[in-house]
Amino acid sequence: MVVSANSSNTQRLSVPLYFICVVLLTSLGIGAAMLLRPTLSYSIRSVLGLEKQLEAAAGSFYTMRVAPLFEEHCTGCHGGHRQKADLRLDSFAAAMRGGKHGPVIAKGDVEGSELVTRLTLPPEHEKAMPPPGKPPLSADEVKVIKLWIAAGASGALPVAAIKGAPPPVKKIEFPEIDESAVAQARAPLAQVVKQLQARFPGVLSYESHSSADLYVNAALLRRAFGDKEFAALAAVREHVVWADLSGTSISDASAQALAQCKRLRTLRLADTHVSDATARALTSLNDLKSLTVMGTVLSESSLGSLRSQGVKIYDGHESLSNSNATS
Amino acid sequence: MTGTNPFQIPMQPRNLRSHSLPSPHVRVWDAPTRLFHWTIVSLVGCSWYSADQGLMTLHLWSGLILLTLLLFRIAWGIVGSTTARFSDFLHSPSTVIGYLKALMSNRKPLYVGHNPAGGLMVAALITVLLAQVATGLFANDGVRFHGPLALWVSTDISDRLTQLHGLVFNAILLLVWMHLVAVFFYLLVKGDNLVKPMVTGYKHRHHLPQQLNLKFVHWAIALVVLAAAAGVVGWILL
Repeated sequence: MVVSANSSNTQRLSVPLYFICVVLLTSLGIGAAMLLRPTLSYSIRSVLGLEKQLEAAAGSFYTMRVAPLFEEHCTGCHGGHRQKADLRLDSFAAAMRGGKHGPVIAKGDVEGSELVTRLTLPPEHEKAMPPPGKPPLSADEVKVIKLWIAAGASGALPVAAIKGAPPPVKKIEFPEIDESAVAQARAPLAQVVKQLQARFPGVLSYESHSSADLYVNAALLRRAFGDKEFAALAAVREHVVWADLSGTSISDASAQALAQCKRLRTLRLADTHVSDATARALTSLNDLKSLTVMGTVLSESSLGSLRSQGVKIYDGHESLSNSNATS
Repeated sequence: MTGTNPFQIPMQPRNLRSHSLPSPHVRVWDAPTRLFHWTIVSLVGCSWYSADQGLMTLHLWSGLILLTLLLFRIAWGIVGSTTARFSDFLHSPSTVIGYLKALMSNRKPLYVGHNPAGGLMVAALITVLLAQVATGLFANDGVRFHGPLALWVSTDISDRLTQLHGLVFNAILLLVWMHLVAVFFYLLVKGDNLVKPMVTGYKHRHHLPQQLNLKFVHWAIALVVLAAAAGVVGWILL
Protein backbone atom coordinates (compact mmCIF):
# COMPACT_ATOMS: atom_id res chain seq x y z
CA MET A 1 0.00 0.00 0.00
CA VAL A 2 2.60 2.50 -0.96
CA VAL A 3 3.04 4.97 -3.73
CA SER A 4 5.37 7.89 -3.99
CA ALA A 5 3.95 11.35 -4.34
CA ASN A 6 5.64 14.63 -4.92
CA SER A 7 5.00 16.63 -1.82
CA SER A 8 6.31 19.94 -3.02
CA ASN A 9 2.84 21.45 -2.90
CA THR A 10 2.50 20.89 0.80
CA GLN A 11 6.09 21.48 1.82
CA ARG A 12 6.52 24.32 4.26
CA LEU A 13 10.08 24.03 5.57
CA SER A 14 13.08 22.65 3.78
CA VAL A 15 14.65 19.55 5.29
CA PRO A 16 17.92 21.29 6.28
CA LEU A 17 16.05 24.21 7.85
CA TYR A 18 13.87 21.83 9.82
CA PHE A 19 16.84 19.97 11.25
CA ILE A 20 18.60 23.22 12.10
CA CYS A 21 15.47 24.11 14.09
CA VAL A 22 15.53 20.68 15.73
CA VAL A 23 19.15 21.14 16.79
CA LEU A 24 18.43 24.61 18.16
CA LEU A 25 15.33 23.51 20.06
CA THR A 26 17.10 20.44 21.41
CA SER A 27 19.96 22.61 22.62
CA LEU A 28 17.47 24.95 24.27
CA GLY A 29 15.73 22.00 25.91
CA ILE A 30 19.00 20.58 27.23
CA GLY A 31 19.97 24.04 28.47
CA ALA A 32 16.68 24.41 30.31
CA ALA A 33 17.04 20.92 31.79
CA MET A 34 20.56 21.83 32.94
CA LEU A 35 19.19 24.88 34.72
CA LEU A 36 16.44 22.86 36.39
CA ARG A 37 18.63 19.87 37.23
CA PRO A 38 22.08 20.85 38.55
CA THR A 39 23.20 17.22 38.46
CA LEU A 40 22.43 17.00 34.73
CA SER A 41 24.44 20.14 34.22
CA TYR A 42 27.29 18.57 36.15
CA SER A 43 27.12 15.33 34.15
CA ILE A 44 27.24 17.17 30.83
CA ARG A 45 30.04 19.48 31.96
CA SER A 46 31.98 16.45 33.24
CA VAL A 47 31.63 14.69 29.90
CA LEU A 48 32.86 17.85 28.17
CA GLY A 49 35.79 18.11 30.61
CA LEU A 50 34.60 21.47 31.89
CA GLU A 51 33.99 20.39 35.47
CA LYS A 52 36.70 20.87 38.07
CA GLN A 53 36.99 17.63 40.03
CA LEU A 54 37.00 18.25 43.76
CA GLU A 55 38.91 15.72 45.82
CA ALA A 56 39.34 15.42 49.56
CA ALA A 57 42.82 14.92 51.01
CA ALA A 58 43.68 11.44 52.28
CA GLY A 59 44.07 12.41 55.94
CA SER A 60 41.41 15.11 56.01
CA PHE A 61 38.58 15.33 58.52
CA TYR A 62 36.18 14.62 55.68
CA THR A 63 37.98 11.45 54.60
CA MET A 64 38.64 10.13 58.09
CA ARG A 65 35.46 11.10 59.92
CA VAL A 66 32.67 12.25 57.59
CA ALA A 67 33.01 9.94 54.58
CA PRO A 68 32.74 6.79 56.74
CA LEU A 69 29.43 8.10 58.16
CA PHE A 70 28.08 8.75 54.66
CA GLU A 71 29.26 5.29 53.62
CA GLU A 72 27.54 3.64 56.57
CA HIS A 73 24.27 5.55 56.58
CA CYS A 74 23.73 7.25 53.23
CA THR A 75 25.38 5.74 50.17
CA GLY A 76 22.94 2.81 49.99
CA CYS A 77 20.47 5.26 48.44
CA HIS A 78 22.80 8.13 47.55
CA GLY A 79 25.74 6.30 46.01
CA GLY A 80 26.86 4.36 43.00
CA HIS A 81 23.94 1.94 42.92
CA ARG A 82 21.17 4.42 43.55
CA GLN A 83 20.95 8.18 43.35
CA LYS A 84 17.74 9.11 45.12
CA ALA A 85 16.90 12.73 44.36
CA ASP A 86 20.00 12.75 42.13
CA LEU A 87 22.10 13.02 45.28
CA ARG A 88 25.35 11.12 45.74
CA LEU A 89 27.34 11.15 48.94
CA ASP A 90 29.98 8.64 47.91
CA SER A 91 32.62 11.22 47.08
CA PHE A 92 33.58 14.67 48.29
CA ALA A 93 32.84 16.20 44.89
CA ALA A 94 29.40 14.60 44.69
CA ALA A 95 28.51 15.55 48.26
CA MET A 96 29.43 19.18 47.65
CA ARG A 97 27.53 19.20 44.33
CA GLY A 98 24.21 18.21 45.90
CA GLY A 99 21.07 16.75 44.41
CA LYS A 100 18.26 17.71 42.09
CA HIS A 101 17.27 20.60 44.33
CA GLY A 102 20.81 21.93 44.56
CA PRO A 103 23.55 21.71 47.21
CA VAL A 104 22.73 20.00 50.50
CA ILE A 105 25.84 21.26 52.26
CA ALA A 106 26.33 24.98 52.84
CA LYS A 107 29.93 25.69 53.78
CA GLY A 108 30.10 27.15 57.29
CA ASP A 109 26.31 27.23 57.63
CA VAL A 110 25.09 24.31 59.69
CA GLU A 111 21.50 25.52 59.95
CA GLY A 112 21.36 26.31 56.25
CA SER A 113 22.53 22.87 55.21
CA GLU A 114 19.70 20.66 53.97
CA LEU A 115 21.76 17.63 54.95
CA VAL A 116 21.76 18.61 58.63
CA THR A 117 18.08 19.58 58.49
CA ARG A 118 17.17 16.12 57.18
CA LEU A 119 19.41 14.33 59.66
CA THR A 120 17.91 16.15 62.64
CA LEU A 121 14.22 15.92 61.73
CA PRO A 122 12.07 13.76 64.03
CA PRO A 123 12.25 10.13 62.82
CA GLU A 124 8.53 10.09 62.04
CA HIS A 125 8.87 13.10 59.72
CA GLU A 126 8.33 12.25 56.06
CA LYS A 127 11.59 13.91 55.06
CA ALA A 128 13.71 12.55 57.90
CA MET A 129 16.95 10.87 56.89
CA PRO A 130 17.87 8.08 57.08
CA PRO A 131 14.30 6.92 56.39
CA PRO A 132 12.39 4.51 58.64
CA GLY A 133 13.90 1.06 58.74
CA LYS A 134 17.45 2.34 58.39
CA PRO A 135 19.68 2.88 61.45
CA PRO A 136 19.72 6.58 62.34
CA LEU A 137 22.90 8.50 62.99
CA SER A 138 23.83 8.83 66.64
CA ALA A 139 24.01 12.25 68.26
CA ASP A 140 27.82 12.03 68.14
CA GLU A 141 27.77 11.20 64.44
CA VAL A 142 25.50 14.16 63.66
CA LYS A 143 27.82 16.32 65.75
CA VAL A 144 30.80 15.24 63.63
CA ILE A 145 28.98 16.33 60.46
CA LYS A 146 27.88 19.62 62.02
CA LEU A 147 31.43 20.41 63.17
CA TRP A 148 32.75 19.64 59.70
CA ILE A 149 30.21 21.93 58.01
CA ALA A 150 30.76 24.66 60.61
CA ALA A 151 34.48 24.50 59.85
CA GLY A 152 33.78 25.17 56.19
CA ALA A 153 32.99 21.67 54.87
CA SER A 154 36.55 21.42 53.67
CA GLY A 155 38.10 18.45 51.97
CA ALA A 156 41.56 19.56 53.05
CA LEU A 157 41.31 20.33 56.79
CA PRO A 158 43.15 17.64 58.76
CA VAL A 159 41.47 15.73 61.55
CA ALA A 160 43.29 17.64 64.26
CA ALA A 161 42.12 20.99 62.90
CA ILE A 162 38.54 20.44 64.05
CA LYS A 163 38.37 20.38 67.84
CA GLY A 164 35.67 18.83 69.97
CA ALA A 165 34.71 15.98 67.65
CA PRO A 166 33.58 12.87 69.52
CA PRO A 167 36.05 10.01 69.10
CA PRO A 168 35.19 7.53 66.35
CA VAL A 169 33.40 4.38 67.44
CA LYS A 170 35.41 1.24 66.86
CA LYS A 171 33.35 -1.14 64.79
CA ILE A 172 33.79 -4.89 64.85
CA GLU A 173 32.67 -6.64 61.71
CA PHE A 174 32.06 -10.31 61.24
CA PRO A 175 32.43 -12.01 57.90
CA GLU A 176 29.18 -13.01 56.30
CA ILE A 177 28.32 -16.68 56.39
CA ASP A 178 28.31 -18.38 53.03
CA GLU A 179 25.34 -20.66 53.63
CA SER A 180 25.80 -22.65 50.45
CA ALA A 181 29.49 -23.31 51.17
CA VAL A 182 28.62 -24.48 54.70
CA ALA A 183 25.90 -26.78 53.38
CA GLN A 184 28.34 -28.15 50.81
CA ALA A 185 30.98 -28.84 53.48
CA ARG A 186 28.46 -30.57 55.74
CA ALA A 187 26.82 -32.59 52.98
CA PRO A 188 29.09 -35.71 52.97
CA LEU A 189 28.36 -36.49 56.63
CA ALA A 190 25.02 -34.77 57.05
CA GLN A 191 23.04 -38.00 57.13
CA VAL A 192 25.37 -39.72 59.61
CA VAL A 193 25.44 -36.66 61.85
CA LYS A 194 21.67 -36.56 61.80
CA GLN A 195 21.45 -40.22 62.83
CA LEU A 196 24.02 -39.80 65.62
CA GLN A 197 22.23 -36.68 66.88
CA ALA A 198 19.04 -38.72 67.08
CA ARG A 199 20.86 -41.52 68.93
CA PHE A 200 22.74 -39.21 71.33
CA PRO A 201 20.50 -36.16 71.84
CA GLY A 202 22.44 -33.06 72.73
CA VAL A 203 25.84 -34.78 72.42
CA LEU A 204 26.82 -34.03 68.84
CA SER A 205 26.59 -30.54 67.35
CA TYR A 206 28.32 -28.35 64.79
CA GLU A 207 31.00 -26.03 66.08
CA SER A 208 29.12 -22.97 64.70
CA HIS A 209 26.63 -21.87 62.03
CA SER A 210 29.49 -21.36 59.61
CA SER A 211 31.36 -24.62 60.29
CA ALA A 212 31.16 -28.27 59.35
CA ASP A 213 33.39 -29.22 62.33
CA LEU A 214 31.82 -31.06 65.24
CA TYR A 215 31.56 -30.75 68.99
CA VAL A 216 31.04 -33.84 71.16
CA ASN A 217 29.60 -33.08 74.58
CA ALA A 218 29.19 -36.55 76.10
CA ALA A 219 29.58 -35.20 79.63
CA LEU A 220 25.82 -34.68 79.54
CA LEU A 221 25.28 -38.45 79.52
CA ARG A 222 27.73 -39.13 82.35
CA ARG A 223 28.40 -42.88 82.82
CA ALA A 224 25.84 -43.84 80.17
CA PHE A 225 28.44 -42.84 77.58
CA GLY A 226 31.38 -45.19 77.33
CA ASP A 227 33.78 -46.85 74.92
CA LYS A 228 31.00 -48.52 72.95
CA GLU A 229 29.19 -45.25 72.44
CA PHE A 230 32.39 -43.43 71.51
CA ALA A 231 33.09 -46.14 68.94
CA ALA A 232 29.72 -45.33 67.38
CA LEU A 233 31.14 -41.91 66.42
CA ALA A 234 33.76 -43.54 64.18
CA ALA A 235 32.33 -42.07 60.96
CA VAL A 236 32.64 -38.49 62.19
CA ARG A 237 35.87 -38.71 64.23
CA GLU A 238 37.96 -36.78 61.75
CA HIS A 239 35.54 -33.83 62.00
CA VAL A 240 35.54 -33.62 65.80
CA VAL A 241 37.49 -30.57 67.01
CA TRP A 242 36.21 -30.36 70.59
CA ALA A 243 35.18 -33.20 72.90
CA ASP A 244 34.05 -33.17 76.50
CA LEU A 245 34.09 -36.75 77.80
CA SER A 246 34.32 -35.70 81.46
CA GLY A 247 32.52 -37.99 83.87
CA THR A 248 31.81 -40.58 81.22
CA SER A 249 32.77 -44.24 81.51
CA ILE A 250 35.30 -43.95 78.70
CA SER A 251 38.55 -45.85 79.28
CA ASP A 252 41.86 -46.71 77.66
CA ALA A 253 39.90 -48.96 75.31
CA SER A 254 39.06 -45.76 73.41
CA ALA A 255 42.66 -44.55 73.27
CA GLN A 256 43.15 -45.46 69.62
CA ALA A 257 39.74 -44.07 68.70
CA LEU A 258 40.71 -40.79 70.35
CA ALA A 259 44.00 -40.82 68.46
CA GLN A 260 42.01 -40.96 65.24
CA CYS A 261 40.34 -37.63 66.04
CA LYS A 262 43.15 -35.95 64.12
CA ARG A 263 41.70 -32.44 64.26
CA LEU A 264 40.87 -32.49 67.93
CA ARG A 265 41.89 -29.21 69.57
CA THR A 266 40.26 -29.49 72.99
CA LEU A 267 39.70 -32.68 74.96
CA ARG A 268 38.22 -32.99 78.42
CA LEU A 269 38.75 -36.30 80.17
CA ALA A 270 38.19 -35.24 83.80
CA ASP A 271 36.86 -37.88 86.18
CA THR A 272 37.31 -40.75 83.73
CA HIS A 273 39.17 -44.06 83.94
CA VAL A 274 41.79 -43.24 81.32
CA SER A 275 45.45 -43.77 82.15
CA ASP A 276 48.89 -43.23 80.64
CA ALA A 277 48.05 -45.43 77.66
CA THR A 278 45.50 -42.83 76.53
CA ALA A 279 47.95 -40.01 77.20
CA ARG A 280 50.54 -41.72 74.99
CA ALA A 281 47.97 -42.15 72.20
CA LEU A 282 47.12 -38.48 72.39
CA THR A 283 50.67 -37.46 71.53
CA SER A 284 49.85 -38.24 67.88
CA LEU A 285 47.29 -35.40 67.81
CA ASN A 286 49.15 -32.45 66.33
CA ASP A 287 46.23 -29.99 66.69
CA LEU A 288 45.55 -30.74 70.36
CA LYS A 289 45.91 -27.55 72.39
CA SER A 290 43.99 -28.21 75.56
CA LEU A 291 43.58 -31.33 77.71
CA THR A 292 41.65 -31.56 80.96
CA VAL A 293 42.58 -34.54 83.10
CA MET A 294 41.51 -33.62 86.63
CA GLY A 295 40.38 -36.65 88.61
CA THR A 296 42.32 -39.12 86.47
CA VAL A 297 45.34 -41.28 87.27
CA LEU A 298 47.57 -39.94 84.49
CA SER A 299 51.18 -39.68 85.57
CA GLU A 300 53.19 -36.52 85.40
CA SER A 301 55.66 -38.16 83.02
CA SER A 302 52.98 -38.99 80.42
CA LEU A 303 51.54 -35.51 80.70
CA GLY A 304 55.01 -34.02 80.35
CA SER A 305 55.40 -35.30 76.82
CA LEU A 306 52.09 -33.69 75.91
CA ARG A 307 53.15 -30.43 77.52
CA SER A 308 56.34 -30.51 75.52
CA GLN A 309 54.14 -30.62 72.40
CA GLY A 310 52.53 -27.37 73.52
CA VAL A 311 49.34 -28.88 74.93
CA LYS A 312 47.86 -26.92 77.82
CA ILE A 313 47.15 -29.43 80.57
CA TYR A 314 44.40 -28.82 83.10
CA ASP A 315 45.06 -31.27 85.90
CA GLY A 316 44.13 -29.17 88.92
CA HIS A 317 47.70 -27.91 89.35
CA GLU A 318 47.82 -25.48 86.46
CA SER A 319 49.60 -22.67 88.29
CA LEU A 320 52.31 -25.07 89.49
CA SER A 321 52.58 -26.78 86.10
CA ASN A 322 52.73 -23.54 84.27
CA SER A 323 55.32 -22.06 86.61
CA ASN A 324 57.36 -25.24 86.19
CA ALA A 325 57.01 -25.04 82.46
CA THR A 326 58.07 -21.44 82.36
CA SER A 327 60.97 -22.02 84.72
CA MET B 1 -30.58 28.22 -27.98
CA THR B 2 -30.79 25.28 -25.85
CA GLY B 3 -30.96 27.46 -22.76
CA THR B 4 -27.74 26.02 -21.35
CA ASN B 5 -24.30 27.57 -21.05
CA PRO B 6 -21.60 25.12 -22.24
CA PHE B 7 -18.97 26.82 -20.01
CA GLN B 8 -21.01 26.61 -16.85
CA ILE B 9 -20.14 23.77 -14.51
CA PRO B 10 -23.38 22.06 -13.76
CA MET B 11 -24.30 22.24 -10.06
CA GLN B 12 -24.93 18.89 -8.57
CA PRO B 13 -27.71 18.41 -6.10
CA ARG B 14 -26.21 18.25 -2.58
CA ASN B 15 -27.53 14.79 -1.92
CA LEU B 16 -26.44 13.50 -5.33
CA ARG B 17 -22.88 14.80 -4.86
CA SER B 18 -22.54 13.23 -1.45
CA HIS B 19 -23.53 9.88 -2.85
CA SER B 20 -21.53 9.96 -6.03
CA LEU B 21 -18.18 11.28 -4.69
CA PRO B 22 -16.09 9.40 -2.18
CA SER B 23 -15.58 11.01 1.23
CA PRO B 24 -12.31 12.98 1.42
CA HIS B 25 -11.46 11.31 4.71
CA VAL B 26 -10.81 7.62 5.19
CA ARG B 27 -10.81 5.73 8.44
CA VAL B 28 -7.32 4.30 9.00
CA TRP B 29 -6.90 3.85 12.76
CA ASP B 30 -9.27 1.82 14.89
CA ALA B 31 -10.34 3.05 18.31
CA PRO B 32 -8.31 0.53 20.35
CA THR B 33 -5.06 1.55 18.63
CA ARG B 34 -5.79 5.23 19.16
CA LEU B 35 -6.80 4.72 22.77
CA PHE B 36 -3.66 2.66 23.33
CA HIS B 37 -1.49 5.40 21.86
CA TRP B 38 -2.83 8.24 23.98
CA THR B 39 -3.15 6.17 27.13
CA ILE B 40 0.48 5.17 26.79
CA VAL B 41 1.42 8.84 26.39
CA SER B 42 -0.48 9.65 29.59
CA LEU B 43 0.95 6.72 31.51
CA VAL B 44 4.55 7.45 30.55
CA GLY B 45 4.03 11.00 31.80
CA CYS B 46 2.32 9.74 34.94
CA SER B 47 5.10 7.25 35.64
CA TRP B 48 7.76 9.91 35.17
CA TYR B 49 5.97 12.37 37.45
CA SER B 50 5.14 9.80 40.15
CA ALA B 51 8.72 8.49 40.27
CA ASP B 52 10.09 12.00 40.44
CA GLN B 53 7.76 12.96 43.27
CA GLY B 54 8.16 9.69 45.16
CA LEU B 55 4.50 8.74 44.67
CA MET B 56 5.37 5.09 44.45
CA THR B 57 1.87 3.62 44.79
CA LEU B 58 0.77 5.69 41.81
CA HIS B 59 3.98 4.68 40.03
CA LEU B 60 3.21 1.02 40.67
CA TRP B 61 -0.31 1.24 39.28
CA SER B 62 0.84 3.27 36.32
CA GLY B 63 3.45 0.61 35.55
CA LEU B 64 1.00 -2.26 35.89
CA ILE B 65 -1.50 -0.58 33.55
CA LEU B 66 1.36 0.09 31.13
CA LEU B 67 2.31 -3.57 31.21
CA THR B 68 -1.29 -4.59 30.58
CA LEU B 69 -1.57 -2.21 27.63
CA LEU B 70 1.74 -3.32 26.16
CA LEU B 71 0.66 -6.95 26.28
CA PHE B 72 -2.63 -5.90 24.74
CA ARG B 73 -0.81 -4.02 21.99
CA ILE B 74 1.38 -7.01 21.18
CA ALA B 75 -1.70 -9.23 20.88
CA TRP B 76 -3.53 -6.52 18.94
CA GLY B 77 -0.57 -6.38 16.58
CA ILE B 78 -1.39 -9.98 15.70
CA VAL B 79 -5.18 -10.14 15.75
CA GLY B 80 -6.15 -6.47 15.40
CA SER B 81 -7.20 -4.28 12.50
CA THR B 82 -5.05 -4.00 9.38
CA THR B 83 -3.10 -0.88 10.35
CA ALA B 84 -2.54 -2.14 13.89
CA ARG B 85 -0.88 -5.35 12.78
CA PHE B 86 2.88 -5.85 12.93
CA SER B 87 2.70 -7.48 9.53
CA ASP B 88 1.43 -4.16 8.16
CA PHE B 89 4.13 -1.90 9.54
CA LEU B 90 7.24 -3.96 10.26
CA HIS B 91 9.59 -3.90 7.30
CA SER B 92 13.11 -5.01 6.48
CA PRO B 93 16.00 -2.64 7.29
CA SER B 94 16.57 -2.01 3.59
CA THR B 95 12.95 -0.91 3.19
CA VAL B 96 13.28 1.43 6.16
CA ILE B 97 16.49 2.94 4.78
CA GLY B 98 14.95 3.29 1.32
CA TYR B 99 11.93 5.00 2.85
CA LEU B 100 14.07 7.45 4.82
CA LYS B 101 16.10 8.29 1.70
CA ALA B 102 12.92 8.95 -0.23
CA LEU B 103 11.62 11.07 2.62
CA MET B 104 14.71 13.28 2.62
CA SER B 105 14.23 13.88 -1.07
CA ASN B 106 11.23 15.72 -2.43
CA ARG B 107 9.10 12.62 -2.49
CA LYS B 108 6.63 11.45 0.08
CA PRO B 109 5.99 7.73 -0.02
CA LEU B 110 2.44 7.11 1.09
CA TYR B 111 1.41 4.50 3.61
CA VAL B 112 -2.00 3.95 5.11
CA GLY B 113 -0.88 3.15 8.64
CA HIS B 114 2.60 3.39 10.11
CA ASN B 115 5.30 4.03 7.53
CA PRO B 116 8.43 1.80 7.74
CA ALA B 117 10.30 4.25 9.97
CA GLY B 118 7.23 4.74 12.15
CA GLY B 119 6.78 0.99 12.38
CA LEU B 120 10.34 0.65 13.58
CA MET B 121 9.66 3.35 16.15
CA VAL B 122 6.55 1.51 17.38
CA ALA B 123 8.54 -1.71 17.79
CA ALA B 124 11.36 0.12 19.55
CA LEU B 125 9.00 1.91 21.91
CA ILE B 126 7.11 -1.27 22.78
CA THR B 127 10.46 -3.00 23.44
CA VAL B 128 11.91 -0.32 25.71
CA LEU B 129 8.62 0.20 27.53
CA LEU B 130 8.39 -3.54 28.14
CA ALA B 131 11.98 -3.52 29.39
CA GLN B 132 11.09 -0.61 31.64
CA VAL B 133 8.04 -2.23 33.23
CA ALA B 134 9.82 -5.59 33.48
CA THR B 135 12.77 -4.09 35.36
CA GLY B 136 10.35 -2.04 37.43
CA LEU B 137 8.65 -5.19 38.67
CA PHE B 138 11.94 -6.26 40.27
CA ALA B 139 13.20 -2.81 41.31
CA ASN B 140 13.39 -1.29 44.76
CA ASP B 141 14.07 2.14 46.18
CA GLY B 142 16.10 0.70 49.02
CA VAL B 143 13.81 2.23 51.59
CA ARG B 144 10.05 2.06 51.54
CA PHE B 145 9.13 0.52 48.23
CA HIS B 146 9.91 -2.48 46.11
CA GLY B 147 8.40 -3.80 42.91
CA PRO B 148 5.86 -6.64 43.20
CA LEU B 149 8.41 -9.25 42.08
CA ALA B 150 11.49 -7.78 43.80
CA LEU B 151 11.40 -10.38 46.55
CA TRP B 152 11.72 -13.16 43.97
CA VAL B 153 15.32 -12.18 43.31
CA SER B 154 18.33 -11.37 45.46
CA THR B 155 18.89 -7.82 46.67
CA ASP B 156 21.92 -7.59 44.40
CA ILE B 157 19.92 -8.51 41.30
CA SER B 158 17.09 -6.21 42.38
CA ASP B 159 19.61 -3.36 42.78
CA ARG B 160 21.06 -4.02 39.33
CA LEU B 161 17.59 -4.06 37.77
CA THR B 162 16.82 -0.82 39.59
CA GLN B 163 19.86 0.74 37.94
CA LEU B 164 18.74 -0.64 34.60
CA HIS B 165 15.26 0.81 35.26
CA GLY B 166 16.88 4.24 35.43
CA LEU B 167 18.98 3.72 32.32
CA VAL B 168 16.11 2.41 30.18
CA PHE B 169 14.17 5.53 31.09
CA ASN B 170 16.82 7.57 29.26
CA ALA B 171 16.26 5.36 26.20
CA ILE B 172 12.52 6.09 26.45
CA LEU B 173 13.20 9.83 26.58
CA LEU B 174 15.42 9.53 23.52
CA LEU B 175 12.79 7.60 21.56
CA VAL B 176 10.03 10.00 22.59
CA TRP B 177 12.19 12.90 21.42
CA MET B 178 12.87 11.15 18.08
CA HIS B 179 9.16 10.39 17.77
CA LEU B 180 8.28 14.06 18.24
CA VAL B 181 10.97 15.17 15.79
CA ALA B 182 9.47 12.79 13.22
CA VAL B 183 5.88 13.92 13.87
CA PHE B 184 6.83 17.57 13.44
CA PHE B 185 8.93 16.70 10.40
CA TYR B 186 5.81 15.35 8.70
CA LEU B 187 3.77 18.33 9.79
CA LEU B 188 6.20 21.13 8.98
CA VAL B 189 8.20 19.66 6.09
CA LYS B 190 5.80 17.27 4.41
CA GLY B 191 2.55 18.98 5.31
CA ASP B 192 1.10 15.81 6.72
CA ASN B 193 -0.54 16.04 10.14
CA LEU B 194 -0.05 12.63 11.76
CA VAL B 195 -1.49 13.63 15.12
CA LYS B 196 -5.01 14.40 13.96
CA PRO B 197 -5.63 10.95 12.44
CA MET B 198 -4.36 9.38 15.64
CA VAL B 199 -7.07 11.38 17.44
CA THR B 200 -9.97 11.06 15.00
CA GLY B 201 -8.99 7.84 13.26
CA TYR B 202 -9.47 9.47 9.83
CA LYS B 203 -6.87 10.53 7.29
CA HIS B 204 -7.35 12.71 4.23
CA ARG B 205 -7.28 10.83 0.92
CA HIS B 206 -4.58 13.21 -0.23
CA HIS B 207 -2.13 11.48 2.11
CA LEU B 208 -3.18 7.95 1.22
CA PRO B 209 -2.52 5.53 -1.61
CA GLN B 210 -5.44 5.04 -3.99
CA GLN B 211 -5.81 1.34 -3.39
CA LEU B 212 -7.01 0.63 0.12
CA ASN B 213 -7.86 -2.72 1.57
CA LEU B 214 -8.50 -2.14 5.23
CA LYS B 215 -10.20 -4.48 7.63
CA PHE B 216 -11.30 -3.36 11.07
CA VAL B 217 -11.75 -5.75 13.95
CA HIS B 218 -14.73 -5.14 16.24
CA TRP B 219 -13.96 -3.28 19.47
CA ALA B 220 -15.50 -6.09 21.48
CA ILE B 221 -12.61 -8.30 20.38
CA ALA B 222 -10.25 -5.63 21.65
CA LEU B 223 -12.00 -5.75 25.02
CA VAL B 224 -11.50 -9.51 25.17
CA VAL B 225 -7.81 -9.11 24.30
CA LEU B 226 -7.47 -6.38 26.94
CA ALA B 227 -9.11 -8.59 29.55
CA ALA B 228 -6.75 -11.41 28.63
CA ALA B 229 -3.74 -9.07 28.95
CA ALA B 230 -4.98 -7.94 32.37
CA GLY B 231 -5.39 -11.57 33.31
CA VAL B 232 -1.79 -12.31 32.34
CA VAL B 233 -0.56 -9.39 34.45
CA GLY B 234 -2.69 -10.56 37.36
CA TRP B 235 -1.30 -14.07 36.98
CA ILE B 236 2.29 -12.75 36.96
CA LEU B 237 1.66 -10.82 40.16
CA LEU B 238 -0.14 -13.60 41.97
